Amino acid sequence: MSVDPHRGTTDRRRRAVIAGVATSDYPVVPDLSEHAVHGQAADRALADAGLTLADVDGYASAGFFPMYAAGVCEYLGLHPTYFDETNAGGASFEVLVEHAAYAVEAGAAEVVLVTYGSVQLSQMGRTLGTGAPSRGGGALAPGPAIHDALWGNTLVGNYALAARRHMHEFGTTPEQLAAVAVTMRQHAASNPQAQKRDPITVDDVVSSRLVADPLHKLDCCVISDGGAACVVTTAERAADLRKHPVHILGAAHATTHQMNLSAMPDLTVTGAAQCGPLAFARAGITPADVDVAQLYDSFTITVVLTVEDLGFCAKGEGGAFVADGGLGLGGRLPTNTDGGGLSACHPGMRGMFLIHEAVRQLRGEAGATQVPGARVAVAHGTGGMLSASATLVLGRDAP
Amino acid sequence: MPMPAANAETVGWWEAAREHRLVVQRCTVCGRTRHPPGPICPGCRSTAAEWDELAGSGVVYTYTVVRQAFLPALADRLPYVVAAVELDGAGGARMVSNVVDVDPGDVSIGLRVELVWEDMGPELALPRFRPAPTAPGPTGAGR
Repeated sequence: MSVDPHRGTTDRRRRAVIAGVATSDYPVVPDLSEHAVHGQAADRALADAGLTLADVDGYASAGFFPMYAAGVCEYLGLHPTYFDETNAGGASFEVLVEHAAYAVEAGAAEVVLVTYGSVQLSQMGRTLGTGAPSRGGGALAPGPAIHDALWGNTLVGNYALAARRHMHEFGTTPEQLAAVAVTMRQHAASNPQAQKRDPITVDDVVSSRLVADPLHKLDCCVISDGGAACVVTTAERAADLRKHPVHILGAAHATTHQMNLSAMPDLTVTGAAQCGPLAFARAGITPADVDVAQLYDSFTITVVLTVEDLGFCAKGEGGAFVADGGLGLGGRLPTNTDGGGLSACHPGMRGMFLIHEAVRQLRGEAGATQVPGARVAVAHGTGGMLSASATLVLGRDAP
Repeated sequence: MPMPAANAETVGWWEAAREHRLVVQRCTVCGRTRHPPGPICPGCRSTAAEWDELAGSGVVYTYTVVRQAFLPALADRLPYVVAAVELDGAGGARMVSNVVDVDPGDVSIGLRVELVWEDMGPELALPRFRPAPTAPGPTGAGR
């Protein structure tokens, strides 16, 4: 395990913090364009921090066409001297914030605005959730994804292949997977913006329509519009800003394959098994120190794999962990306290919402789902077909 | 059915398939197999590779029953089984394909399967799999 040699020696005044966060309106915004969602989230996050666009010299975002960040910058009237548009699917925003932290610590930027925006639901309709890995209409690109798309595999199908293998190796049950969705819905009940708020039971989940065995409709995230944003700067710059800064204690990311599970070495182990321990080591913490988690929940199986790979329980014990109330308030690892992608919103690449909720928790602003005294939070994104993983460890206090 | 856009490293795989030969790419330096095909061996970085023809038998490593299709051309096949098949003689390489000629409820991890080809047109044939005949009893030759 190598620990980032730079973290411990960074000038404490330049240690990276998150100075502001916000979401746009969500989960349905038929009257906003994708760029307008970015703009709304940006304005609100800057206001939260007590900053304006004039203070921003760095910008980051991820989207699905080249020069994406430049496009949003043009819309916002930003001319940054640092920008980043790394796309790791659902893990993108954890990676972008990690990069932004390095940038401000290295002096390459002072204030980095990171924004996400999507109008997936209003623009594309509800069929995307079963979408083939290959994007774009007619021709299938020559990448690895074509080697399963032609056989009719789908996005949900990939996660189902992993879930079935996990059930086979460890005895995980559909009812255990369903417990993830039930807990997320309990949390969503306290989030007035959540897309789905009516309580559900394990029986509701396992009796909902099968999309790709063993995953039912209610094992799958919702499809939404929306966006979110955060402002990364130095501890020194944040000291006299409007909100209590949240410290970026450690971060790491990893990838195991691109879009075809034929190339994934073990369908029950994600890149989180690599980047989780690395991020914790960089932060100087262990899983036992984590008070609250925001874990990418594209599907219920995603959460089960993640709690195992991050070391919150042993490999194979994730099913029991989530079924025993482990993710609930008062559980071993209160998770997705806004309702997550399974209930609150999932506009496509939800990673920024994870960071937003983690920061709210550490600032004590999470309302009915506040974890009392939360000091350390994890935001963990999972992108592609379990392809990319990224862990951010955030702290209420300076390291 | 959309056509695959092949490139330099995958065209050999699609051409073999058109001739109903199931192949896997094998590094000629270290012997490691890889699927989907790629330009460089992930093990030793060699660009030298050959196509190994496989018998086409294998075992279901994991599977799902897709009940909501993405490609419109597949809607009339629902529900269908997508499986990752561990191919015999392929050095542990797995391939995402289908298990056909079976009630989806009868598919399980560990099921032995054999190759079956489907011509999708003059330019495209897809290898799929079906349950292998049950192995004979103790007096038989086994598989």
